[in-house]
Amino acid sequence: MLPEPFTPQFLGQLETLRLRTRKEFLGSRSGSYASPRRGTSLEFADYRRYAPGDDLRYLDWGIYARSDRLYIKLFREEVDLFAYVFIDASASMGFPLAAAKFLPAGHIAAALSYVVLANHDHVKIHLLSEPSASISSPFYRGRRRMVDCVEFTAAARPGGAMDMAASLAHHLQKLRRPGKAILISDFLMPAASYQQGLNMLRAFNLDIAVIQVLTRQEVEPPFATGGVNLVDSESNAEINLQWDNRARQNYQAKLAQHNSEIRSFCHQSGIHYSLYVTDRDFSDFIFATLPAIGLVK
Amino acid sequence: MEFLNPTALYGLFALPLLLVPYLLRRKPRRYVFSSLFIFSAMGADPRARPLGRLRLPLIFLLQLLLLALMIFALGEPVLTARPSKVAIVLDNSASMQALTSGKTRFDSARDKALEIFADLDYGAVLDIYLNAPRLERFGRANFTPPEAARALRGLKPVDLGEAPLDYNGALSQLAREQEYDRVYFLTDRPARGQSGVIRVITVGQPQANYAITDFGVHHGSLTDVRLTGSAEVANFSSTESRIVIAVRGGGAPLVTRELVVAAGAQVSTTFEGLPLHPYYEALIETRDSLALDNRRYAVSPATKKLRILGISPRPQALASLRAIAGVELDIVAPREYEKTDRGRYDLEIFHFSAPAVLPRNPTLFIIPPSPNELVDLRNPATNSSVSGWREGHPLTRYVNFSLFRPSYARALKPQTPGESIVSSPDGPLVYATTKHGVGFLVLGFDPFPYLGQDNLPMSIFTVNMIDWFLAFSGDRGKATGEPIPLIAGQSGAEIITPAGEQISLRSGASIFSETRYQGIYQMINRAEKSLMAVNLRDLNESDLRQSAPIVLAGEGNAKGEKSVLLPFWPYFMLAALILVLLEWFINPRMAPFGRRIQVRGAMPFKVN
Repeated sequence: MLPEPFTPQFLGQLETLRLRTRKEFLGSRSGSYASPRRGTSLEFADYRRYAPGDDLRYLDWGIYARSDRLYIKLFREEVDLFAYVFIDASASMGFPLAAAKFLPAGHIAAALSYVVLANHDHVKIHLLSEPSASISSPFYRGRRRMVDCVEFTAAARPGGAMDMAASLAHHLQKLRRPGKAILISDFLMPAASYQQGLNMLRAFNLDIAVIQVLTRQEVEPPFATGGVNLVDSESNAEINLQWDNRARQNYQAKLAQHNSEIRSFCHQSGIHYSLYVTDRDFSDFIFATLPAIGLVK
Repeated sequence: MEFLNPTALYGLFALPLLLVPYLLRRKPRRYVFSSLFIFSAMGADPRARPLGRLRLPLIFLLQLLLLALMIFALGEPVLTARPSKVAIVLDNSASMQALTSGKTRFDSARDKALEIFADLDYGAVLDIYLNAPRLERFGRANFTPPEAARALRGLKPVDLGEAPLDYNGALSQLAREQEYDRVYFLTDRPARGQSGVIRVITVGQPQANYAITDFGVHHGSLTDVRLTGSAEVANFSSTESRIVIAVRGGGAPLVTRELVVAAGAQVSTTFEGLPLHPYYEALIETRDSLALDNRRYAVSPATKKLRILGISPRPQALASLRAIAGVELDIVAPREYEKTDRGRYDLEIFHFSAPAVLPRNPTLFIIPPSPNELVDLRNPATNSSVSGWREGHPLTRYVNFSLFRPSYARALKPQTPGESIVSSPDGPLVYATTKHGVGFLVLGFDPFPYLGQDNLPMSIFTVNMIDWFLAFSGDRGKATGEPIPLIAGQSGAEIITPAGEQISLRSGASIFSETRYQGIYQMINRAEKSLMAVNLRDLNESDLRQSAPIVLAGEGNAKGEKSVLLPFWPYFMLAALILVLLEWFINPRMAPFGRRIQVRGAMPFKVN
């Protein structure tokens, strides 16, 4: 029995979706995603001159009639997809409560995993944390493994500090096949840190999608007016601020600028980007926002 | 302008406390946040530093003003018109001689009075009053301020206790009758409450003090030629003290003793075998605040005879006492007791009778009828037996009470604290108590019919009683202010006071009442000279720790009293009320001390 929101109706709606990729990958078996290899699918790819030994069934007789030359028709090979879902499991994802931020992030990961599983493709979930605490699931394939996906994300607990590039590097060492990478994080870190991480994913020839998850408290901090002493949930660093309307506006402007930089970098790097604020309707985000950015169709 | 309750103005020192809520509000509240990355990008805020700039809002100034107004209002400010007719009442009782930093309380009071004079208009008139021995005017009426100052400089306190007086009523009455604009009472007693006309100015502070509260010299017994002195020392302090007491005879030191006296307690001691001197002086050698009560005087008993006044409906039963050597006995019927001059007797014996009030002399009661202050009688017992007695007590010396068989006895039911000397199964048969240094003995049987060789225990017990009373019979002298009786009709007699002043007595004078100072008074009549010791006998004057306050209540409204005060504290209160409304108008969301504003959704991650 799957927890909310994975009701049969919700799963049924997910089965109508399909993960989109912008790259072609070499799959392990036939599937529904384009491969750079030529194969036997119905989708025409190219011509090449006939060579002795070629299958005469693929000769283009029309060209021969017009040019008196023999050409063989080539078709695309369609392979299965390997999807990698990276979830930020640092302490900041447990703010203010794990149920308010990390759980929705896990639900997004599970929903996208189900989209992959329903298409008989492979999905693997990685938890990004301190390198020593980083874990990943095995590859799942088939709808029935959805339970394992949900259990894996539900069993995870956010904690510790995380350097995104280092943590991704740790996971990428074990990654053998290119595919689709979906990175779910709050991205409340310096630009250099997440850019280095994303570039690393790009270097592994992964088709990347980024989903930024924030809570309403992070978008609109509800501190009482006056002096506040803020403690970083990961590093325990402290900062004193005089919190008032001016500071609130300043914070929101800085956060908007930060998010804009992430979006801009993703756009320039051919990465799908979307922001999810956790008080928003989850179904609406999966079935409206993600198709709109082209992550699913 | 002056303040009727100036103590409230100390509240002004608390005004800086108003900053505390603002400083507390400045203390940053602590929150855990997911990441401080964005906040770091905002840059440091100098206002957030612990010692950063403190910005006080307008509401703070209003609150400050509000508190100041309320404190001023509590101080009860009044506008005063300068009084034109003033009475100065000076406390000249013995306790005003107490020293603080080398200055007596009386000197301090006088200085305060001179300050008051300096503030008066030149045309103002003054009357000076003293409260000891009674509240009465000193000198003539209507002094000008300079004249009053000169008159004050010649005054000094007397060795008298304060007259028991309701100062609130007495001073108010004085103000009404003499139409004073203002009555100043300068005393060492604190005051409570307020009055429109009467002002109590308190001088001096609570102090520790030691005092000799009783001193006397008497014969040890009828058969003893040596003298015995007895003294009682009190410790009016909060700690146990070692007090050295010395006895001098005729100016020469005789004996010294150190006593350990607990805080607030009194200790008695005796000095046996004192040689004969005309007078004796006991003094505390330990220094303290009030020197007056460190000294007591006594004169030697003039005669070894014990003068007894018997009061009995059956005189013949008492007559057997005359058989005892050294006893002089006069017997009167109970109805004649009030007419009798009791001052010349050393002992009174109430035989089957009792007075309305306890005598001032040592007294023996024999089966006293009810009601009386000391005992009730239980039912008569036909076969009375003694069940116990105090061993080693002067009353039980040499007596075997097992052989004591009074044929008619009634057990006693004590009504006052004392000690049972001889007991029966139903209660005490002999009961002794002491009040104000005077001994009282109550017997539940009559010993006098059995005196003589036929009943030796009863006879020895009777002699013991005589000796016991002898200890109280010495000449204890007179209290200051108490008149000294004179032999009527003397002419050419004179009295020399302790200060050496010779006062000639007018012919026919029966008393000398100017005993305001402690010491030995000499009465000289031709070649005959007698001495009288006069001592301060008011424990309230010696106890300098905390006097009872003078309560002034509502006298400002007394009929016929005119006030020179215009109270305007209600205007302060009105201004404070307006300020409260103004604050509410300026900042309706804030209570006067700043209610915290609830922030929606802030709680889940707030640390403190």
